[in-house]
Amino acid sequence: VILDRCPWYIAGPLVGLLIVALRATLNKPFGALGGYIDLAENGARLGRLSVRAYVLFGIVIGGAAFALARGSYEAALAYGGAGGPLPPGVPGLAVALGAGVLMGFGARTAGGCTSGHGLSGLSLGSKASLTATMAFFGMAMGVAHLLDGLGGTP
Amino acid sequence: VTARAKLVGLTIGVAMGFVFAWARLSDPEAIRAMLLLREADVFLLMGSAVAVAAIGARLLRAAGARALVTGEPIAWSSEGPRPRHVAGALMFGAAWGVAGTCPGPLAVMIGEGRLGGLAIAAGVMLGAAWQGAFGRRGAAAAAPIPAASTGAPGADPRGVPGR
Repeated sequence: VILDRCPWYIAGPLVGLLIVALRATLNKPFGALGGYIDLAENGARLGRLSVRAYVLFGIVIGGAAFALARGSYEAALAYGGAGGPLPPGVPGLAVALGAGVLMGFGARTAGGCTSGHGLSGLSLGSKASLTATMAFFGMAMGVAHLLDGLGGTP
Repeated sequence: VTARAKLVGLTIGVAMGFVFAWARLSDPEAIRAMLLLREADVFLLMGSAVAVAAIGARLLRAAGARALVTGEPIAWSSEGPRPRHVAGALMFGAAWGVAGTCPGPLAVMIGEGRLGGLAIAAGVMLGAAWQGAFGRRGAAAAAPIPAASTGAPGADPRGVPGR
């Protein structure tokens, strides 16, 4: 099926072109974190939301469009599907919430997430982004290996 | 912000979300396989995206292009690394390793109907807002450090994440 996993050599350049499109139209870097910040701070007054929030809304819609196109859309409280990294039920949701808080706090401290630093920032040659990207990749690999050694789930 | 800019942002977001989903970036198992060095696909995806984006941005700037919607000249600035880039990234990386997802793919996951992702998204918003308040307090205590130093990608139209 054509909607099986898109190979990296197609998906990667497409993502790169979309980052260029954002630069060419709005002169903005691509970063998902900004949308969450915008929603947290201006979500109560929708008229004040910036482009960052609309990019994030678009990503949600794009995910829905893919699932619908593939015929795999199914709303569920599931997180990673069967065999996902988090335990099911309330403990899983609690770990997810806690991981989210750390993710949001850390990313904003660093000034960006995987997309803001690891894609946009690196593409613009930012040394701050290179530093942040090496740090979060190193830490994430360490944590993933640790959890894998402990049996895969926290 | 003009409605046109919002619509363009939304459209690029839709395309980005679709490609992320298609490449399985929203699947925590695919992220875990990458972090455990069991497959190289996500690394190669990111590397090729960075290469294309780097060339594209430099071509636009070299051509003296103006942004099609906003009319401003294509330009950006970047900053050297500071301790907060490392400290924040270590926190972020730990959460990434536990959750197997990060803010972009998380939004895709929610769109795909895996609503457990909403718990992480709520956490991301809480954590980011908390950090924002924390940054303002720190700045007030230690003026003249600008509170804007907590800015995220996109906060400044010309900024590179991590000013």
